[in-house]
Amino acid sequence: MIEFTIDDKRIEAEPGETVLQAALRNGIEIPHFCYHPCLSIAGNCRICMVRVKGRPGFHPSCNMAATPGMEIENDCADVTAVRKSILEFATLNHPADCPLCDKAGECRLQDYNFKFNGSPSPSVEPKRHQSKFYQINSRIILDRERCILCSRCVRFTNEISGSGLLGIVERGSHSRVERLEQGGVEDAYSDNIVEICPVGALLSRDFLYKSRVWYLEPVASVCPRCSRGCSVNVWRRQKNWQLRALGKEKNLMAYRISARQNPEINGPWLCSKGFDLHKLINDAPRALTPMVQGVPCSLDDAIATVQHLILDTKKPAAVVSAWASNEELAVFKSAVSSWLTVYSGADQEPEVGEVVEDQLLIKADKNPNRYSVEALFGKNSFDAEAGHDLVLVWGDNIDYATLGSAKVIHLATLQPKAGRAADVLIPISTMFERTGSYTNFEGKVNRFEQVFEKPESVQHAVDVFGRL
Amino acid sequence: MTCERVFFTFEITEDSHLLPAYRKRGGYEALEKAIRGMQPAEVQAEVAASGMRGRGGAGFPTATKWSFLAKGAPVYYLCCNADEGEPGTFKDRWIFEHSPHLLVEGILLASYALGVRHSFIYIRGEFDLSYRRLMNALQEAREAGLIGQSILGSEFSCEIIVQQGAGAYVCGEESSMLSSIEGFKGYPRNKPPFPAVKGLYQAPTVINNVETLSTLPWILRNGGAAYAKIGSEKNTGTRLFGISGHVVRPGLYEQPTGYRLKDLIYQDAGGIAGGKALKAVIPGGSSTPILTAEEIENITLDIDSVAKAGSMLGSGGVIVIAEGTCMVRLLQVLTRFYAHESCGQCIPCREGTAWMDRIVKRILAGKGVAGDLERLEGITVGITGNTICALGAAASMPVASFLKKFKHEFAYFIEHGRSLNDGRLEVQL
Repeated sequence: MIEFTIDDKRIEAEPGETVLQAALRNGIEIPHFCYHPCLSIAGNCRICMVRVKGRPGFHPSCNMAATPGMEIENDCADVTAVRKSILEFATLNHPADCPLCDKAGECRLQDYNFKFNGSPSPSVEPKRHQSKFYQINSRIILDRERCILCSRCVRFTNEISGSGLLGIVERGSHSRVERLEQGGVEDAYSDNIVEICPVGALLSRDFLYKSRVWYLEPVASVCPRCSRGCSVNVWRRQKNWQLRALGKEKNLMAYRISARQNPEINGPWLCSKGFDLHKLINDAPRALTPMVQGVPCSLDDAIATVQHLILDTKKPAAVVSAWASNEELAVFKSAVSSWLTVYSGADQEPEVGEVVEDQLLIKADKNPNRYSVEALFGKNSFDAEAGHDLVLVWGDNIDYATLGSAKVIHLATLQPKAGRAADVLIPISTMFERTGSYTNFEGKVNRFEQVFEKPESVQHAVDVFGRL
Repeated sequence: MTCERVFFTFEITEDSHLLPAYRKRGGYEALEKAIRGMQPAEVQAEVAASGMRGRGGAGFPTATKWSFLAKGAPVYYLCCNADEGEPGTFKDRWIFEHSPHLLVEGILLASYALGVRHSFIYIRGEFDLSYRRLMNALQEAREAGLIGQSILGSEFSCEIIVQQGAGAYVCGEESSMLSSIEGFKGYPRNKPPFPAVKGLYQAPTVINNVETLSTLPWILRNGGAAYAKIGSEKNTGTRLFGISGHVVRPGLYEQPTGYRLKDLIYQDAGGIAGGKALKAVIPGGSSTPILTAEEIENITLDIDSVAKAGSMLGSGGVIVIAEGTCMVRLLQVLTRFYAHESCGQCIPCREGTAWMDRIVKRILAGKGVAGDLERLEGITVGITGNTICALGAAASMPVASFLKKFKHEFAYFIEHGRSLNDGRLEVQL
């Protein structure tokens, strides 16, 4: 342990840690733009300058190893004056269009400018104009006027995603971030650069002008789109900013998804498919009414039909959803599984054209909780030859034709595929409408919170099991 | 004062830059002497005894720089910084064009002293004749068995690799030069780590100027003590001074350190062009603070004397400015240069140099406003010391010193929209 002080506060640093890292770990705020814990040190923003007692001048804390007995001054007039002048430089050609910038409210430049600068630019020169809507790829645009060239996005595409998508071209005040020709245009992780951009330069086309961020609140959840089970935040409208007139459906809308830091599973990153999770929440065609033989009916009628079918059956089977949470699986195991043969299902298959598996996050198995399903019920997938006469299908993405002539009871979140109707269809809630947990492919349990209320006509799967 | 010469020892003829002529002048004797009869440590000691200080601009003692090299590394590199881009400086070019073997021998000596097997020369991309003469010299030396495996039949082997720059001033900064040699964009690196610990390809690296290395053959041949006798006490030896601007005979002169600046201007260079009075001198390349005529009265050309007057001897590129020159226009030449050459990596330099340039340009266009000069001073304070490399300080030093010493000219320009002088940079003869 290395002991040193920041503003007379005693701090312990791990060997090899920089002053900035130790300070952040100990809850001392040193402002920084270009520093990111997962990227290499660039040291180009110069806002993290501090003073070291006994050394002349100011030093960037991001590139200064903590040494024993060091006395750092972070919160003093001289250091603040340096930061003020750095911010004057950074905002010299920055358009300061916070009122229409999506980043406003969570922008480092905005925060630091309020804290350390707080006065209008001393410049009387006209601002330099650059492209406002430079297309990085189909998902991201770059507003070059807002860019402070911290190079976080460039380092991300070089060091983390490895696509080499971006680079800084030209020099001096002509420097700009540009899409490089030799880099792959497709980067399955490109949306992360929107998140790590400390200013409003990189913008998600999907979230562009959709909402001010202070109307929204994040809810901790888990991405169910592959067996990695990354931690995410689902951003919904805050209670006190609920809309009463202009489109109430917006109150039940997921506005955007962001990665939630989870060093055990995904670090601070998330893949594009994870960032698109809100489309699944908002747009997927939900199954909303119970049906018997494709005819809508009440829930009680549907349950009664199910009970009849169960009484008649000789060799029942169940296909268990790999989207079900650990808690639901436990209930299913104790309440239902004793009297039928249980198979594991696959709710999601890889989509055409997507990255199936890579070194960073994406796993080939597109189901979030296969680990628990297999631990409880084995690995068998449905065997049409076994002569089952009734199948309880729990989950989506199933073709009834593969089930043979057996009667089908389907607990589905989404509208089933076209073709033969299920004998009984009971709509169930999605993972965003309840709390629970998933176990990912490494056996790590990750908990998710309820984001939205479930629609009234939809049941929680566990409630259905209780009535069988 | 002795008139010993290190560089100007021969008459320039058509073939004076070739190997036979160099041999006739005693070339490669020092190398032979060192390889056959001296241990590397003895070579280092000889350099230490000479008391030589680096000629690149910072004036750091060469032997001390060598001693900072991290010990026990498997590989060491030597880089010769020949990216001579400082406006007003043209000494390395003379060495390349007229005595390239001096540099080759110097590099071999330094490599021998430091245990280096691969040395690099990073030569400025705009140098054409220099580059051709250097390549020719390397070819000659290779054929004579002076470069490559088992030099002069000894166990010492050394390769010299030449890398041409691509026109960036900032690549004369040592760490960005390393980036450039490695094939990356010429961005300066954050220090620490210093090149002596982690330099080229992460190996400990020594970076020396062309003139520094070219002096080594003389030191080894005549002894460090003999070299230390030349010049003033703390700035031993001779230096190449490139004098340019409003003088009668601009050019390169070799003088011992401690030579009077006024002598250089009035005797060697023949005085001010057109018989005008002296207005100011930029003593060591464009980034050093300007000195007025009164300030240079008693200056001698050594690092400490110039530093005492508030400037730097830098790379020895003396720019002389005659009476009647418009300082606003002159400053604009400099701010434009630095704004153009800033690499754009760190915020203060990227934005600050361009900002200063825009303000000075606006003043020059007659559109200066009250507060411009305070703003300029504020920018120089904001840049200095807050950048990754020294280019930021190099850009702000001229601005700060021009404003300090010629503020009335700037104020006049802002108030009247025209120059206090006739607004020219040329001297009318």
